[in-house]
Amino acid sequence: MKGLAPLFIGIFGTFAFSWVGLTVIPTWQIGSLNPQSDEEGTDIYPRPQSGMFQRGAHVYAANGCVYCHSQQVRADYIADDIERKWGDRRSAPRDYIFQRPVFLGKMRMGQDLANIGARAPAPEESPSPAGGASPSGAPATQGAGASPAAAPAASPSSGSSPATASAASPVTSPANAASPNASPPPGQRTGVASPSPGQMANTTPGGSSPAAPSAQTPGAPWPIQTAGLPPMYSAAWHHVHLYAPRSINPDSNMPAYRFLYEKRRIAGERSAEALQLSGGDAPPEGWEVVPTYDAKCVVAYLMGLNQSHPLKEVRSVGGAPAAAPSPAPAAQGASPAPAAGASPAAPKK
Amino acid sequence: MNTTGIPLRDPAVSAAAGDTEQLERAYIDASTRVPVLMFYTSAIAWLVLGTVLAMVVSFKLHSPDLFGGVSFLTWGRLRPAHMNMMVYGWASMAGMGTAVWLMARLCRTTLRFPLLLAAGGAFWNLGVLIGVGAILLGDSTGFQWLEFPRYVAVILFVAYTLMASWAVLMFRHRRGDQIYITQWFLLGAFLWFPWLYAAGQLMLFVVPVQGVLQSAVTWWYANNLLFLWFGAIALGAAYYMIPKVIGRPVYSYHLAIIGFWTYALFSSWTGMTRMVDGPFPAWMITASIAATILTMIPVATIGLNHHLTMQGYFPLMRYSPTLRFTVFGAMSYTVFSVIGVLISLRSVASYVNFTQVSIGYSHLGLYAFFTMTIFGSMYYIVPRLVGREWRYGSLIKLHFWSAAYGIGLMTLMLLAGGFLQGANMENPALPFSESIETVMPYLRGRSIAGILLTISNFIFAYHFGLMLLGLGRTSTVPTFLNPVEAETSGGH
Repeated sequence: MKGLAPLFIGIFGTFAFSWVGLTVIPTWQIGSLNPQSDEEGTDIYPRPQSGMFQRGAHVYAANGCVYCHSQQVRADYIADDIERKWGDRRSAPRDYIFQRPVFLGKMRMGQDLANIGARAPAPEESPSPAGGASPSGAPATQGAGASPAAAPAASPSSGSSPATASAASPVTSPANAASPNASPPPGQRTGVASPSPGQMANTTPGGSSPAAPSAQTPGAPWPIQTAGLPPMYSAAWHHVHLYAPRSINPDSNMPAYRFLYEKRRIAGERSAEALQLSGGDAPPEGWEVVPTYDAKCVVAYLMGLNQSHPLKEVRSVGGAPAAAPSPAPAAQGASPAPAAGASPAAPKK
Repeated sequence: MNTTGIPLRDPAVSAAAGDTEQLERAYIDASTRVPVLMFYTSAIAWLVLGTVLAMVVSFKLHSPDLFGGVSFLTWGRLRPAHMNMMVYGWASMAGMGTAVWLMARLCRTTLRFPLLLAAGGAFWNLGVLIGVGAILLGDSTGFQWLEFPRYVAVILFVAYTLMASWAVLMFRHRRGDQIYITQWFLLGAFLWFPWLYAAGQLMLFVVPVQGVLQSAVTWWYANNLLFLWFGAIALGAAYYMIPKVIGRPVYSYHLAIIGFWTYALFSSWTGMTRMVDGPFPAWMITASIAATILTMIPVATIGLNHHLTMQGYFPLMRYSPTLRFTVFGAMSYTVFSVIGVLISLRSVASYVNFTQVSIGYSHLGLYAFFTMTIFGSMYYIVPRLVGREWRYGSLIKLHFWSAAYGIGLMTLMLLAGGFLQGANMENPALPFSESIETVMPYLRGRSIAGILLTISNFIFAYHFGLMLLGLGRTSTVPTFLNPVEAETSGGH
């Protein structure tokens, strides 16, 4: 009997010690971080996420994406995440303040997704059935902000026939010219906006030359741009990848999320959202595969994952990322054709 | 080998054992009969279901188009369904059954209100069932180890209170002043779990913490569930079963006490080793790594204590299934902890952090250590509840060897494959897909290991089913009075 009080106190004490130490004190330390901003109070990062992003996060949770994909970039002096082009800098607690649930992940049977949205080709602000998303949202300050717009916006370029795409291209460049934002995303945008070659890369099935530059990116984790598919990491590409992963990479062991898509008979004309499928995955003649709302949300979520914005507390590799894209337009201006092909890789940095 | 295989010696009291003591034990066992058998039955049902899911999960990982296109059969839902079935269905139920029985025995008191306990078990099963269904239907929370939605957490919590409060109450009504080390571990487990579960739920769902702290809470919870809930029960069971079977007291009681306190103190701090180099303040991770290294103290004391207790009695493992499984589990605890230290070191973690090594580590803890120890306890406890001895010694042997080879092969495959996967991942000269292709043959090997484990679990379930139906052998050597009716139906 005499030893009982110490036993109970010890049982509770040891546990309380770890509870306080590993959860309470950290909450006190980093539990109420604010977004950062510059002196003028602009350039706020991170920003709260859109509703589609939030719902996409739940689709991501429901289908267990976290069991194969991490969302954290480790520092360059620890691991090769940055060399693998998974990010320009290590992830920091501030990157995640608006994410709930947070999916740091513990497994990489697939790529790290912390910056998958940053890898997307520049959003094309063509007049499109972009839903309620405002195309000129806040793309300048944060790629994530632009994602919901980008998701539906990019799909028509794939779904539509080459004719429609090229028809859209003249519209694209004025839209970009009109946008006065002068930070990284516009820099990327001009890369794609270089009128017709940019579209050619997307639509020309035999366009092997555009594929070459991205294939040569050493150590790049992502697969080679396949001819005939939408530009890599565009919303349309994500849809094809989710629907038929092995049509993009034959060795992929990612499950196919076909239940997030609807196969339906084409009524009237083909939907602009219909997936650009080929080979055995393509629906029979007269049918089309369109994303459900959940699929659109999960793609909006993926497109919104973007930690490319610099953080004051973390050193970015290769100088300030804000400066990084600026040489790109110049190079692209010099040789338009490769620039178009490089579009999947170019927006990365 | 003796077909009953059940240790027939009853050490501690053998000299002074009078009929009264045996009678008392029979009464105690009888009082725990309904709830413990109910816990065991449902646990084994979950084990079988979880094993089937595990096979599907394992095969789908290298053959992704298996059962493709069906939402509730997608890999990302089956995996957490399997995991939660094993953690909350099998391991928690089996652990609680064992703990309740041990508590009653050690407190030398009958279990009051056994039916309430059984009701708690029914609620718990309901919670796990709804939770697994919710995961399969796409209502997972997305937090690893805590995928069950909130409404399930409430059910589980109520069920747990129904079950655990009686176990703690038994401790209050115990007879005799001595508190055995097993009771420490069990009392710890029973008190740690509700706090742990409540803290996890509160900090993730009720008053959610911000950003990455959700991950910190998740892994703090996961590791504590592993160590302070499953680990504590398994260590408590091992401290009971090993001395009991070989008929010899624990080698050093002081070592045991040191082991207990250092275990409680250090293993509860290890959670952040799952997130080495993640986006957290460095001190959190460093503290966890330090704590993990310090867990070598309880590992050494507990391991040494078991070893010195067993010294000279290892040949008994040839006869006693309880001893064989328990010693395997206790040894696995050492292996599990040593590997835990290795993979938490920053230099190693940078390679293996995002690989199959973590899966191997979890299986080593939950199967090789916990499950094998609990199998050992079940081989001891079940005959005392049903009044029959295990029917086939050969089945027990088959169970042991397929489980041992299965988990050994699985660990080997996941660790070796994971290390290669990590080495290739950390080599930017290779494309990322190389790391996946490297691990694929090992994952196929893991599926083979999974077949062995499936065989072992099904054999055990079948054998347990025979016992439950009263088809066990009538005991040849009556060490105890049977706690159940003395009908003689044996031998067919």
